Amino acid sequence: MANLNTRWRQENTYDAIVVGSGMTGGWAAKELSEKGLKTLVLERGRMVRHLEDYPTAATHPWEVKYPRAKLPPDELKAKYPVQNRTGYALTEYTQHFFVRDDENPYTEDQPFDWIRGYHVGGRSLLWARQSYRWSDLDFEANAKEGVGVDWPIRYRDIAPWYDYVERYIGVSGQAEGLPQLPDGVFQPPMEMNCVEKVLKAKTEARFPERRVTIGRCAHLTEPTEEQIALGRGKCQHRNMCMRGCPFGAYFSSNAVTLVAAEKTGNFKLRPHSIVTEILYDEAKGRADGVRVQDETTGETMEFYAKVIFVCASALNSTWLMMNSTSRRFPNGFGNGSDQLGRNIMDHHLGVGAMAEAPGYEDRYYSGRRPNGLYIPRFRNLGDAATKRTDYLRGFGYQGGAGRPNWDRNLHAAGLGGARKDELSQPGPWMVRIGGFGEILPHADNRVTLNRDRKDRYGLPTLRFDAGLRENETAMRRDMKTAAVEMLEAAGFTNVIGYETPSPPGLGIHEMGTARMGRDPKTSVLNAHNQVHECRNVYVTDGACMTSASCVNPSLTYMALTARACAHAVEASRRGEL
Amino acid sequence: MQSRRDALLSFAAVWGALSLPAGTAAAGAQPAVTVGANPGWTPTGVSPSQAQVLDALSELIAPGTDTPGTREAGVPAYVDRTIAGYCTAVEAGEFRSVLDALDADARARHGKGFAALSTSEQTAIAATYDKGQKFSPFGRLKEVVLVGYFSSEPGATLAVRYDPIPGDYKGCIPLSEVGRAWAL
Repeated sequence: MANLNTRWRQENTYDAIVVGSGMTGGWAAKELSEKGLKTLVLERGRMVRHLEDYPTAATHPWEVKYPRAKLPPDELKAKYPVQNRTGYALTEYTQHFFVRDDENPYTEDQPFDWIRGYHVGGRSLLWARQSYRWSDLDFEANAKEGVGVDWPIRYRDIAPWYDYVERYIGVSGQAEGLPQLPDGVFQPPMEMNCVEKVLKAKTEARFPERRVTIGRCAHLTEPTEEQIALGRGKCQHRNMCMRGCPFGAYFSSNAVTLVAAEKTGNFKLRPHSIVTEILYDEAKGRADGVRVQDETTGETMEFYAKVIFVCASALNSTWLMMNSTSRRFPNGFGNGSDQLGRNIMDHHLGVGAMAEAPGYEDRYYSGRRPNGLYIPRFRNLGDAATKRTDYLRGFGYQGGAGRPNWDRNLHAAGLGGARKDELSQPGPWMVRIGGFGEILPHADNRVTLNRDRKDRYGLPTLRFDAGLRENETAMRRDMKTAAVEMLEAAGFTNVIGYETPSPPGLGIHEMGTARMGRDPKTSVLNAHNQVHECRNVYVTDGACMTSASCVNPSLTYMALTARACAHAVEASRRGEL
Repeated sequence: MQSRRDALLSFAAVWGALSLPAGTAAAGAQPAVTVGANPGWTPTGVSPSQAQVLDALSELIAPGTDTPGTREAGVPAYVDRTIAGYCTAVEAGEFRSVLDALDADARARHGKGFAALSTSEQTAIAATYDKGQKFSPFGRLKEVVLVGYFSSEPGATLAVRYDPIPGDYKGCIPLSEVGRAWAL
């Protein structure tokens, strides 16, 4: 029996375990396996293989069942009441990449839109691919303003890792030389259309502090040999990314990092594996492995490793740590600070302006650019000219111009061939810019473990109590005003500012619930994403974020993950874990 | 609580409101369909008589011109499937009521069913419901017809331009190089 146990334990022992296979889990898998560590990736959902498991990638509009490929209202209400809150993401084309809400419940003391997909690759298949660097404006803000805790790193610590990640994944973008939005390793930028070029010229002439650039996105526009060798190709401008890309042209775990990990021979992926607990060895004072509940059989099992990377997405990593209690950690794994689950952040959005751009009726475009404009932050940059007295931090805009196709105003009066022919021509040029604003960390914007409400696996669920505060509300007023004045300055007509409520979660950038910091008393993770109180556990997804910036966060998560992997391999070699 | 969906919907509403005025209906004199003809498909969401009205209404909304009409594009059957398999029970009932009302009006005015009327007679009746109200049953049914048409293979590839794999993006070209709106 003892021998059997020993053998069983050996067979289930790896050098490294990675929890999750999405944006950061994929990176941890690649980095650790490439550095020679036998790496087990545990994914709670089903397998999704690049290319073969993208069933709708080549589906034509006439091959879907429902109008505009939207699911029937009764089905949305019964199965996807939360996932459908984005309004755009969940369709027949993408349904298989979103969780069913009836099977994955949580509790909202305040509204929280928790949009997610449980499968290999996670939301790396679904992301909007916008890729921006943080700057020291972001890393220093908490310390300068006395908000939350100080980041334990600065831009110089992460800059080489941004280089490393961008070079590998491929980011299309335009260098702008802005201190608040550092340039990166870019493939050729995508083109702006006629009206976007007008917006750029007019905005920059009228507002010298504002820059209109093309979005920086993780699409290949000039693939490197390394990318081609992985089976990736140039972006074909289909803009059907969320179905999975048959060209491997945008970055996803499935198309890139998991493929690279597979090539090492050091990598094993186990789908259907819900990691329910991090096992803590009191005698050794470190984590020993993880407990897994098989999603399909209900069987529980344990896997062991010297180092564990928790990359399950911010809230699920937090859930896992909260559910991992022991004598050493009665309030959750590594939670001596009581910060686990607190300081939940996202980006607030749903506010901006739109307009009509007459005068370019004879102009059009070809191709579906999977990318838009970006207007980097221009408020509170540290100088007197951009200083706001009504709020801290800032926002960027994303948007673009285009001409609506036939799908416009279909209910309008009019029957017959003339109406049909009218709809067969493009509509008027329209412009829209929408803000993405920074949310400040608040200790009582939090998520807690709800042991009274269990999911279908008998596991506890999460309870959300977080909302926007005064700083965000004040910022939103400015986001609308500044957007309107830009579209007016560009000479566009029918300029309309809009603002709709933006509950946390809707940005799908949830973060901050196991923050990095310098002091174990006030933070969960150290400068290398190690749990302060258990150094062989690293948390590198959005949970680690000490503040939110206003830029899309995935690039930063990837860079922090690669950096933490290098640290883990070195620390392991030195016997420090 | 308003969500991004609502935000986008309201954006779409403004977008739509800013589009060009609606075209005028083409008036024709010839009967739109042979009286009592089988529409060529088996209805599952509407009754056989409602199917005849649907077939006629659909072609009235987007008839064949130099590009295919809804009948050629299979739209009536598409709308029927939508009523059977997509709409809520309430909306399905409203759509059937629209079809019944058109037929009843036709019989009251002309003593025969909607499908048996000339295009101009059909247009006159349909115009009493076609008021451009976004959330009216007629407006929503018309929307389903038009979405079905422009999403169909003939609609997407002939009435507008469809390019599944564009390859490149060109941001500023003469409209004449494309000629029509893009399907997507």
